[in-house]
Parts: sequence; C-alpha cells; structure tokens
Amino acid sequence: MPDSILQFDGISKSFFGVRALEDVSFSLPRRHLLGLIGENGAGKTTLMNILGGVLAPDSGRMRLRAADYAPRRPADATGAGIAFIHQELNLFTNLSIADNIFIDRFPRLGRSPFVNKGVTRKQTARLLESLNLLLPPQTLVDRLTPGERQLVEIAKALSTGAEIIIFDEPTTSLTAAETQRLFDIIRDLRQQGKSVIYISHNLGNVLELAEDIVVLRDGRVVDAGPGKDFTIDRMISRMVGRAIDQIFPTRESKPSDEIVLEVKGLSQTGIVKDVNFALHKAEVLGLFGLMGSGRTELARMLFGLEPFEEGEVLVNGVPCGRICAGDSIRRGMAFVTENRREEGLLMEATVVDNIGLVALSAFAAARFPHLLRHRRLGDAVTQIAESMRIKSGPVARSLAKNLSGGNQQKVVIGKWLMSRPAVFIMDEPTRGIDVGAKYEVYSIINDLAARGASILLISSELEELMGLCDRIVVMSKGEITGGFDRGGFAQEPILHAAFKGHQRLLQGGRAGQR
Amino acid sequence: MNAAKWVCIVLVAAALVLTDPSCARRDGTGDQVTVCFAFQDLETEFWVAAHKAIIETLRSKGIQVIERNANQDANRQLEQIRAAIARGVDGIIIIPQDGESAVTIVGEANKAGVPIGVFNRPPTNRSRPALVVVADNLKISEQAVAYMAEQAKKLGRKVTPLILVGDLGDSNAVARRQGFMNVIQKNPDLFNEVIEVPTKWDAVTAQANLEAALQRNPNVDLIFTSSDFMYPQVRAVLEPLGKWKKIGEPGHVILGGVDGDLRAARWMKERYVDATGVQDLFFEADALLNALLEAMKGGQKTPEKWMDDPGFALTQANIAERAKDMWGFKLLAEQGPAGAQ
Amino acid sequence: MAVTHVHRVLAFASGKAFGFARRILLSGNFVLYLSIAFFAGLYLFMPYIASGRNLANISSNMWPLLALVLGQMFVLILGGIDLSQTSIMALTSVIGGMLMTTRLDPALFAKSPLWGLLLSADGSPLSGTVLAVPLGIAAMLLVGTLVGSLNGLAVAKFRMPAFMVTLVSMMFFSGLAIYLTKSENIMYLPDGYTRIGSGGIGPVPWSFLVVLVLAVAAHLVLRHTVLGHWFFAVGKSIRTSIVSGVPTERVIVTGYAVSGFCAAVASILYSARLAGGRPTLGQNLLLDVIGAAVIGGISLFGGKGKVLWALFGVLFFVLLSNSLSMLALPFYAEPVVKGSVILLAALLDVTRTRFLAREAAA
Repeated sequence: MPDSILQFDGISKSFFGVRALEDVSFSLPRRHLLGLIGENGAGKTTLMNILGGVLAPDSGRMRLRAADYAPRRPADATGAGIAFIHQELNLFTNLSIADNIFIDRFPRLGRSPFVNKGVTRKQTARLLESLNLLLPPQTLVDRLTPGERQLVEIAKALSTGAEIIIFDEPTTSLTAAETQRLFDIIRDLRQQGKSVIYISHNLGNVLELAEDIVVLRDGRVVDAGPGKDFTIDRMISRMVGRAIDQIFPTRESKPSDEIVLEVKGLSQTGIVKDVNFALHKAEVLGLFGLMGSGRTELARMLFGLEPFEEGEVLVNGVPCGRICAGDSIRRGMAFVTENRREEGLLMEATVVDNIGLVALSAFAAARFPHLLRHRRLGDAVTQIAESMRIKSGPVARSLAKNLSGGNQQKVVIGKWLMSRPAVFIMDEPTRGIDVGAKYEVYSIINDLAARGASILLISSELEELMGLCDRIVVMSKGEITGGFDRGGFAQEPILHAAFKGHQRLLQGGRAGQR
Repeated sequence: MNAAKWVCIVLVAAALVLTDPSCARRDGTGDQVTVCFAFQDLETEFWVAAHKAIIETLRSKGIQVIERNANQDANRQLEQIRAAIARGVDGIIIIPQDGESAVTIVGEANKAGVPIGVFNRPPTNRSRPALVVVADNLKISEQAVAYMAEQAKKLGRKVTPLILVGDLGDSNAVARRQGFMNVIQKNPDLFNEVIEVPTKWDAVTAQANLEAALQRNPNVDLIFTSSDFMYPQVRAVLEPLGKWKKIGEPGHVILGGVDGDLRAARWMKERYVDATGVQDLFFEADALLNALLEAMKGGQKTPEKWMDDPGFALTQANIAERAKDMWGFKLLAEQGPAGAQ
Repeated sequence: MAVTHVHRVLAFASGKAFGFARRILLSGNFVLYLSIAFFAGLYLFMPYIASGRNLANISSNMWPLLALVLGQMFVLILGGIDLSQTSIMALTSVIGGMLMTTRLDPALFAKSPLWGLLLSADGSPLSGTVLAVPLGIAAMLLVGTLVGSLNGLAVAKFRMPAFMVTLVSMMFFSGLAIYLTKSENIMYLPDGYTRIGSGGIGPVPWSFLVVLVLAVAAHLVLRHTVLGHWFFAVGKSIRTSIVSGVPTERVIVTGYAVSGFCAAVASILYSARLAGGRPTLGQNLLLDVIGAAVIGGISLFGGKGKVLWALFGVLFFVLLSNSLSMLALPFYAEPVVKGSVILLAALLDVTRTRFLAREAAA
C-alpha cells in the first residue's frame, strides 16, 4: 500500500452560514494521480483554496508528508512544494518564458541586484527540455499557443521544486495534440516522483489518467475508489446524484421549412469570405470549426457588433441595412457571446439586474413618468430563474460574480429569454460549465426549438453538436466548407471539412491559433 | 438599522434647513479679543510683508488672530468670513480677491454688526460702510517717474521710455500706468513714443515680452516697472546687453518702479535703480488697524472711513533720510548681507 | 476564579464591540454616522459650532456643493469623470450675469467682444425687464447642458478618454468666460436673482429647495427608470451593455449633459450668493467635489452611486471645512487636512470592498 503524501482529515468550511465543505476526508498516495470530480459548486475550488493557503478551514486538518500542514498564505503552500496549474493561466504575456518562470527569484550575479541572465537562460532551457518544449527561453509568451503556455506554467511549478501539482481544467483550451502531449508529461511527472491532483469535467480523460478518483457533491465526498473501478455512468450519477440516462435530451420537435435568417455572400476581407446559409424556424443549426475559423466573427456580424463589406443578411425575408445590436434585438434576435465575463454579464450587478438588462423597457410604466415596475420585473426574473434552476442566493441581492460558471451562463441565457427572441445565436454556451449544468442548457435549447425559436449553435465540441443539432455547417478559415444533415452526422467527414485549408494537421502546428 | 438611518437623516436635515441666518447670537470667544485676518495667497513679498506687519501689530496688542487663506477664491473667502462671524470674532480685516467680492463680504459683516477693514484693494463702490485703506498708486508712480524724468533731462536729448504694464484687470496696475503716462505727457519734447510691454503680473511673461521689445528697440533709455517684483527679469534682459550698469557708468538705463521691496532696496543702495515709488506699508497697516481697534473699542458695528496712503518716492536724492521708511529696506536690514537675488 | 471570570466578560464584551464596530464600518451609511460622531466630538470643544448662525453657514455651504456632486455622480457612475464642472460654472455665471445685469461700466467692459452687440452701459437688452431673471437663468441652464452634451459626445462618439475631454473643456470654457468679460466681474444684478442666494420661503432657504428637487429627481431617475439602470450597466461593463442592446452612446451623452446642468444650477446658487457674474467662479472647487463624492462612497471606477451617498459625503466634507475654519489652525493646515481625509476615505473604501469580497468568496 503506497503511503500518502497528502491527507485531508474532516475538512469543513462555511461561508455566511452556507456549508461549502463538510467533513471531507481522503488521501493522495505518493506518485499517484487522483482525479477530483464534481459539479460546479460541489466544493472543489474551496478545497483547493484551503490546500493552497488562500482560505483557512473551519475545522479538520491536513497532513503533508506525515506532518501537520496549515498554510496561512499562498507562499506557505508554494514553500511546502505544492503548485497549482489553474484554468486561467497567470502568465505575463509581454515577458519572455524565462522571465515568467523566474519572475520572483531571478538568479543574481553574486550578491549584486543584477540578474544573471546566462544562468537564467540555461536553467530555463533545461526545464523546457525536460518537458519536450523546444523553444528558445527568450520567446515572448504572447507568441505561444495555449498549450505551450500551459507547459510554461508547469515548468514554473517544477522550478519551485513542487512535489504535488494540481491541475484545474487543463484541457479546455488545448488541441487534441496538445492534450496528448500534456498527458505524456503528466505520466513523466509521476515517474519522477511527483503526485498529481487532476480536476476536470472531461470524465473520459480522468478515467484514462487517474489511479484514484474522488467524487464531491454538495461539499461532501460521496464516492472514492480506484480509477479502474469507475465508469462514466458511475461518475456522472454520483456527481449529479441521480442516474443520467443520456447526456443529451431527446430532440422531439422538427424544424419547419420557413426560413427565418438568410445569409448571402457575406464577406469581410481577412475574416470571412462568401458565407451563405439559411436558418429555418424551430431549427437547431450547429456551426463547427477550429478555433480561428471565423465562427465568432461571423456571429458578431450577423448580430451587428462588427461590420461587413459585402453581402446581405435577411431576417424573415427582409434585408437588414447597417445593423447594430439594438436593431437586431428589435428584430427578435439574441446573442449569447462566448465571453460571458466580459460581454455577457455585469459581474458587479445583481442577478435581477443582469437578467432584466435586455427586456428592461418592457417593464416601465406606459405613461409618464415611465417609472420601472420593480415588483413585476422581480417576479418575471424569479420565474425565469426558477424554471432554469439557477442556483444563487436571493436574486435581488446575489452578485453575478459570486455564481458558479454554469449558473452564470444560465443567467446570460435567461437574460435573453426575457425578451422572447425568435432567433438565438449561441457561441460556446457550455464552455467551462459542469455536466449537470450542461444538460440543463441542452434542455433549454430543446425547449426553445420546440416552441418555435431558431438557434444557431457555435461549438468546438463535435459530440455536443451531433447530439443536439438538426444540421451542422462547417467553417474553415472564414469560408463555409461543408453542410451535414442529422441523418448524415459522422465525425470523420465533419472534421475533414473543418481542417480543409490547413496543411499541417495535428503535428503541433499553429493551426489552431486565434 | 433602516429606521435608525431615516431618523438620523430627518434630524440632520431639519437641523440644517430650519435655521435662521439672521440670528445675531454670537457665542464663543469669551473675554479674549479676536480678529479674523482673511487674505489671498501672499504671492509677492509685498503681501508677505503686509501679512507680517498686520499680524505682528495685532499680536503686540494682545489680540488673538485667526488667519484664513482663501487661495484666490472669492467664494471661499465669503465662507470663511461667515464662519468667523459665527465663531464670534470682534473685528475683521480682509485682503479681498477683487473689488466686487469685497462689496459682498463687507455686506455680510455689516449684517452681523462686525466692524470690518479692507486692506489695499478697495471695494468697487462705497454702497456699504467699511474701513478702507488704499494706496494712491497714481500719485506714487507719478512721484517716482517725475524724478526719473529729471534724470532723463540731464542726458540732453530725446529719451525713449519703456513701461512694464501690470494686469489691467487690477486697478492698481491701471493707476500706476496712468501716473507714468501723466509725467510722459507733461514732457512731450523730452520723450519719444512710449513702448508698452504687457506682463499680466507674471514674471515669465514679463521677461519674454521685455526681451522681444528690446530686440525691436535696442535704444531704450528709461525703463519703469509697474511692480518691483519684476526687477530680476529686467536685470536678466539688460545684463547680457551690457545695459545693467550703475548710475554714472556708460550704458546705464534709468530705472524706476513701484512697491519698494527688498530687491528695489538693494539695487537702489547699489545704485542700479534711480527711484522707487513706495507704498507705505507700515503707514497703511497702522492706519487700518488703529481705525479698526478704535471702532471695536467704541462698539461701532458698521464703521466707515476711507484712508489714502499718499506714499512717497524714494530717490537717489533722498535715500539717506527716507530709506528707513521703505519696507523693503527694513527687510534688507533683517536679512543681512545674504539678501535675496 | 474572579480573574478568569473578568477575562470572559471582557472577551465577550470586546467581541461584541468588535462585531458592532465592524458592522458600522461596513455599513453603507458609515459616512453619516461618522459625520454625526464628528459633529458631536466638535461640539464638546467648540459649542458655538451648534449655534444657529453656524448651522446656517453649514447648510448654505452644503446645497450648492451637493448640486455639483449630484451631477458628478452621474458621470462617475458611468465610469468617467467631469473635470469641466468648474468652468461650466464660470461660463454660465458670466452669461447669466451679462443677461441680467442692470449696469456695466464701459471703462471695464468696452473691450469685451460682446460690447455693442449684446452689452451696453445699461446691461443687456433684457435688463430691467421682468423676463431678465427667468431668461437669464434659463440661458445658464441651457448653456450648462449644451457644454455637458459636447463633453458627452466627445467621450461617446469619438471614444476619447473622459479625463482628457473634460480637462480640455475646462481650460477652453474657462478661457472663454474670461475672454467674454475681459476678466472683469459683473455686478449690479437684480434683487430677484440675488435673493435666491440668501432668501427663502420662511426659514427654508431657496438653495435647499432647489437642490432638494434636483436630488429627488436624480434619485428617481437612477433607481426607478430604465435610463437609470442603463447608467449603472454602462458603468459596470460597457461591452456587455452594447451586446445587450443598451443605447450606450445616448446614455453617455445624457450623463455628461446632466453633469453640466447641475454645474449650471450650482453656478446660479453661488453667483446669487456672491451677487455677481464671475469668470473665476468655482476655480478651486474641483477637489471639494471629487473629495465629497469619494468620501460618500461613490466609486471612481464606475457602476456605483447613490444620491444618499452624495449627501453624506457633502455633509461630512462641509463639516470638515467648517471645523477647520473654526479652529485657529495656521492656514496651510487646511489643504493638508483635507487631502489626508480624502486619502483616508479612498483607503477605507478599498479596504471595505476587499473585506466584503473576502467574506463573499466561496
């Protein structure tokens, strides 16, 4: 029985009377990879914050290498050999790789305050080599792909002598090739004697990697055991607390023949070229492509946030001239952007203010002085929040920034639902949210279609599109390269269409650059 | 918590709204006689010296002085005076920002029955009673320029005069220029056309404009500055041209100004400057303070008296007897040999 | 035995006191409590601070400043700043003065560009008529709103930073005011106007009534209208607002126009008090305005603001100024003290925000 390097013993933590963690106990054996899974809000982040010295537990204790471990600030955790590779990377894009790695402890020239650049460069090169990242140490981080940046973070963690490395959602921005490379490196790390905690919503990856799996739900450990004993179904059902028969709800409605949105010959130099397609009533149309294929830019043009040089957009047969967001909204369109933090939400505002933002005018009194009907707005918002199962505190007081990713996304969708749009453009609506919330978003999409709305769904997850859509249109390098009906969905031809125009496919090239 | 908050707000609001500004009750200062001295920034040595003179005189009489600087903001000065009145001062001395705000502020003092004195910058009209001391700038500069004209006559030829004009928004600047012009106009055969250099009372502007004027007219024989604080700029322009010379040396330009500050004192002593029109600062301070103290003692609430300071011209002719009356010389004596540049 | 008992009581009491102190500190009404405590403290040393005359002074100093802060609040909520409020005050003071004055001294004003066109020794064409005062006031409000709208247009349409736009405005319009009057002050304003500065309905001063209406209107707009919500939305995230269909350009122009309008209102009150149209009006007030806003809790980063906070901030700031006036401190102490207080207020705000954020983190 391998000894444990890290042990959690009865850890509990509450915030404002709400229990975030309750009596969490498990151990991380040496040189093992432990997969920590759970829905958003299950307590994973809180637990990691306690491990990392950001928060102190209310009760319970931790043991590191058989000694008591109670960090009071993040520096204590780093000093104890614990390193975090977060989902949002903490790199300075305007500095070089070497600068980033040694930013807080540059090797000096003797005792002077001057940096020993030679030693810095050599040490950096050695680290990069061990990770098989063959780039010069002076390369600016700005130039690196997300996958390469992540490797720099790992190099930084290794350089501090970390023995325990925690990965938090590492694969969300990686290409398939980069993901494989990451897994190879993780295996190497374990051979070198490091221990890993791996947090991810990608259950398949967790199964592939983990020796041990721990499932958190509502702050408690509800399941733990060797990885080989787990299946995807078991993981999901433990996480959600109920058996999930399927990942995608059944599509029950069918699209009509009526065209609600038609795009003809849309072009903008360097971004999109001669885009043509049509969206039907009650249809879910998927738009697939690699990162940088122009899908988001196309969506922004359709909604009126970006200009286009040539082509037409027709809504219900009527051509739109110069469009702006306000016009699109008046024509019954909605746009859930891919950047919910910066363009979808008012982070410092309450849930009510967020959900009410688009449809606000509808809640003002008809006659002067046009005062807002606060109660009616509040009721409408509460109704939407309940029907979407948004988990927040009281809607009039909880701030958007304190919600989990999944709930935040539901708030954004709810905001648009308030004005009952006919055409919904959704750009990566399930990015960064957990399995349970994803299912709920899929159900919402289904519902919308069943009620006659049309959805243009942009996503990088092919399985998701194949599970939800009536049709899939593929873009590559700004052009439409293929269209597939539901009956003819198959991974290979769709991927092929997505890669059309990219010479180097998977050999770590810059194909996926944004 | 919410109820408490509203109660507090209502109480505070009521206290602030329902107060009668004509309430004449004055509490607070007890037996100690207090005078509020409100001024504006003390930008030049003249004001610094005036401030010092007034404060010292008041303190020497055992009066407590409350100083207030309004930083050239008339509105702030109004608020300061009101606060002083509320505090219960026995008398007020102000150096106002301009003549108009002086009228308003005097009105406030009148309403409250506090005697008020205005130093050196007179109110624009006499609609409200106050003690005012004002220098007759026109006479003072006339006297100085008259002496300069005498020196010009000795040259035996026509002379080119130049005047550094102050900010014409300041009545003092207007008066000084008029005094200069009066003398020039009285001697049409002696003087060529006058070169007027605007300065807006700003040293940097003065230097730049003087430089330009001398480039256009290199043969200037006589320079009159509307205020002594610009002498360093005059020197900076004349010296490289070889015209900063003592009286009697070739190249000497007849120099004169108004105010009587430390620099004028030094350069008169060293015989670079011919004449200085002096605002008799000590006379002005004494006259105003005596009038105010008398009014305070006599219980007068709205005393009125306008006092003129005729000043005098300190020239190389009378410097021996009258130097001690010029406030700049007093400063020079205090500073010793290491006088300011 | 007794010792440990005392210890327990002390611990309990200090715990309670600490909790109470923390609640007061984090409360949104902190500045109000601070003002009351400050006033009470001052009363112990200077009882005349509560005299009718002094309270009247405090009151009369508060309302015009509050008008300015209300206007600035709209702009601050948008995440911008309006440095030109003081110049708008000067310009409108001069324009109102010129239209309303009954007498102009030719010696002083003959060089003004408007002499002969609009101005003469008897004032403007409106002087002496019944319409002089209402039209003069209307002109002041109009000019203030217009200048504000220009600021807003530059910020919204040309995407220029608010700091730069309003700084340039401040310099330009201040210069314009001085140019129009050749830096002379305009006197001899009609009684109907100057009474606004000093009179009232019974004991209630006009300045209070005017600013009360302004404050109520501001509160209604911010809390109870769609436009009000849009102000906060644009301040919190302009990108999200654009995507969500908020007419951001219109909102920004309106915000700055309101700031200009409020500056004109303040100008009316200050000018009436000083009985003159002054091209240098309000020159040094900018620090007071921003200081009062920051002390009250209106964030310089945008997205936050309440009329009540503006009121509390102004109350505290005027109390502070008043107390400094009352104390026999040397005159250079005043800006030092004021600056320190504003710095403390900003620090306090940052600490409170961090504190609250830490508590809410999960």
